[in-house]
Amino acid sequence: MNTIEVKELRRIYKTNIGVIRRKVKEIVAVDGITFDVNRGELFGLLGPNGAGKTTMIKMLTTLLIPTGGTAKILGYDVVDQANEIRSRIGFIFGGERGLYWRLSGIDNLRYFASLYHVDPEVTMKRIPQLLELVGLSDRGEEKVEGYSRGMKQRLHIARTLLHDPEILFLDEPTMGLDPVGGREIRQVIRDLQSEKKTILLTTHYMFEADALCERVAVIDQGRIVALDTPEALKQVVSDLSVIEIEVFGVPEEILNQIRNLPFVDTVSVEDLDQKQALHVHSAKGSEAIPPLLSALEGVRVGKVTVREPTLEDAYVRLVGGKV
Amino acid sequence: MKPGMMKAYVHVIKLTFIFTLKQSMTDAFILFGIFVQPLLIAIMALFILGDQGDGLVIFIVVGSGLTGLWDSVLFQSGNSITRERWTGTLEALVGMPTPLAVIVFGKNLAFVTQSLSSMIVAYAFASIIFGYPLSIEAPTLFIISVVMTVLSLVCLGLVLATLFVLNPDVQRWQNGLEFPVFILAGFLFPIAILPQWTTPLSYILAPYWAAVALHMSSGGKPDILEISVPWAMMALLGVLYLFLAFWLFRKMLFKARVDATLSGQ
Ligand SMILES: Nc1ncnc2c1ncn2[C@@H]1O[C@H](COP(=O)(O)OP(=O)(O)O)[C@@H](O)[C@H]1O
Ligand SMILES: [Mg+2]
Repeated sequence: MNTIEVKELRRIYKTNIGVIRRKVKEIVAVDGITFDVNRGELFGLLGPNGAGKTTMIKMLTTLLIPTGGTAKILGYDVVDQANEIRSRIGFIFGGERGLYWRLSGIDNLRYFASLYHVDPEVTMKRIPQLLELVGLSDRGEEKVEGYSRGMKQRLHIARTLLHDPEILFLDEPTMGLDPVGGREIRQVIRDLQSEKKTILLTTHYMFEADALCERVAVIDQGRIVALDTPEALKQVVSDLSVIEIEVFGVPEEILNQIRNLPFVDTVSVEDLDQKQALHVHSAKGSEAIPPLLSALEGVRVGKVTVREPTLEDAYVRLVGGKV
Repeated sequence: MKPGMMKAYVHVIKLTFIFTLKQSMTDAFILFGIFVQPLLIAIMALFILGDQGDGLVIFIVVGSGLTGLWDSVLFQSGNSITRERWTGTLEALVGMPTPLAVIVFGKNLAFVTQSLSSMIVAYAFASIIFGYPLSIEAPTLFIISVVMTVLSLVCLGLVLATLFVLNPDVQRWQNGLEFPVFILAGFLFPIAILPQWTTPLSYILAPYWAAVALHMSSGGKPDILEISVPWAMMALLGVLYLFLAFWLFRKMLFKARVDATLSGQ
C-alpha cells in the first residue's frame, strides 16, 4: 500500500451562469489523474494557475467530493473514511485565511490543537517548539491581525504540525511571499522532509519544485503531462536551446507564423515595460536566428541572444508555452 | 464513540467557549450590542411601566429578556457556521477530526451565555437606577429554568445554523422568524389570546416552554410538579433538536463538499 494512491481522479465544478435564463456551466478542473506517493516522499504537483492543483489537494484532504475515480490516503478512502484520514493528515492552503485574526498566535495554536484532540499538556509543550521552528517565538502573544502575510503562512505551518501528522498537504505554501519569506518556508519544508514526513506540495514555480521535490507531476488543465524526478524532467529540453528576441510590439499573426516554423518548438512571450521578450525554443540554436528575423520583418527588434535551456524552459515546454 | 473522546469534546467546547467570548470582547460593535443596547431597552421598559406594580415589572423584564435571548439565538448562533465561512476558517475546521457540531455547540453556548449575562447586568443596573425591586419569587427554580433555557436554545441554535447555511436567503428567514416566535412563545403576553390552531406550533418551540418556566418561577412560587412540565418539555425538545441537528450537519457538510461551498470564496 502506498501512502497516497490516486486513480483516475476527476472533479467537475458546476456553476450557474446567466441571470434570467439559468444555464449550468461545467468546468473540468481535474480530468482523470493517477499517481502514487511513497512513504516519506516529498512529491510535487507543478502547474500554472487554474491547472487543478488546489482542487486535487482539497479532494485528498476530504474537503471536496470527487466526481469520479478514487483516492486513498494510508489505505482509507477520501469519501467513505474521511474521519480516519482527518486525524492523520495536516494541510495548509496558501494564503492568509483560515486563522482567527482576533486571537493571538498562541491562542490559535491552542485552539486548533484541541480540535485535533492533542492532550492539553502536550500542547503547551509543543507550541513553543513549533513557534521556534517557524521563527515566531517572540511574536506568539500578538494578535494574528498584526502579522505579515509570511508570518500568517508560517503560523499555518505550525498549526498543521500540532498533532504530528504522518502526511502533509501543502498547497502553494510560498504563494504571495517575497523571496526571503519564500526561502524561510522552503527551509522549514526541508526540515520536515528530514523528519521523514510524507509531503505533497503544490507550486507554480519550477525552481521550487526542483529545489524541494523528489518527484514532480506537471499538471495542466487537469491532466498530468509529465511525472518524473526533476533531473529527468530537465531532459525534456536538453536537446533545445532558447533564442531570446527583444521586440517592440509584435502582432499575433506573426507570432503564429513563428510558432508554425518547422524548427520552432515552443514560443512564449514575456511582457516587459515597453517591449516584449520572445523565448523561442529550437533545436537549431543560433542557426535559427536568420529565419526568425526574416519572419519578424517590419517589427522593431532589439537584442537577440541564445542561451542554454533552464528548468523554467522545461516547464514552459510541458505546459505548451502558456506561462 | 471511542473512550476519552467525550473528554476531548468537552475540552473543545470549553476552549471554543473561551475563545469565542475573547474574540467578541474585542469587537466594539458587538460590545455595544450586548451591553449598551439591553441597558437602553431595560431603562426604557422600566420607565414606560411607571408604577404598575412589581408583578408586571418582573413579567416584562423576563419577557423582554427572552426576546433578547431569542435574537441572539437567531442572529448570532444562527450565523455561527456562515461566519466561519466568511473568515475562511470553516474549511480548516471541517478538515479536522472534531465534528463541526461540537464546535458550533461551544460557539452557541458562548453567544447565549453572553447575551444572558449582559441582560442580567443591564436589568440589575436599571433597577438600581430607578429603584424598582426586581425580586424573583422562586430563585432556585428560576436558576434551574435559566440553565434549561440556555441548553435547549443552544440545541435549537444548532438546527438554525445548519438551516441557514443551507439557505442562500438567510436574512429573510431570520427576519421572518424574529417576531412570530416572540408571539408564539408567549414572551410578552400569554398565548391563550392567540387562535387555537397556533398552539401546537408553540408546543414544539423550546422558547415557549422557556417562557412558561421563567415566568412561572419569577412571578410566583410554583410547586415542583407544575414546573417540571416545562422543564421536561425543554429537555425533550433539546434532545430532539440535537438529533435533528446531527442529521442536518451530515447532510449540510456532504452537500458543501459536493458543491464546493466550504471555502466561501
Ligand atoms: N469553486 C469553484 N467553482 C467553479 N470553478 C472552480 C472552483 N474552484 C476552482 N474552479 C476552477 O477549476 C479550475 C482549477 O482550479 P484550481 O484547482 O484552483 O487550480 P490551481 O490551484 O492549480 O490554480 C480553474 O479553472 C478554476 O477556475
Ligand atoms: Mg491553487
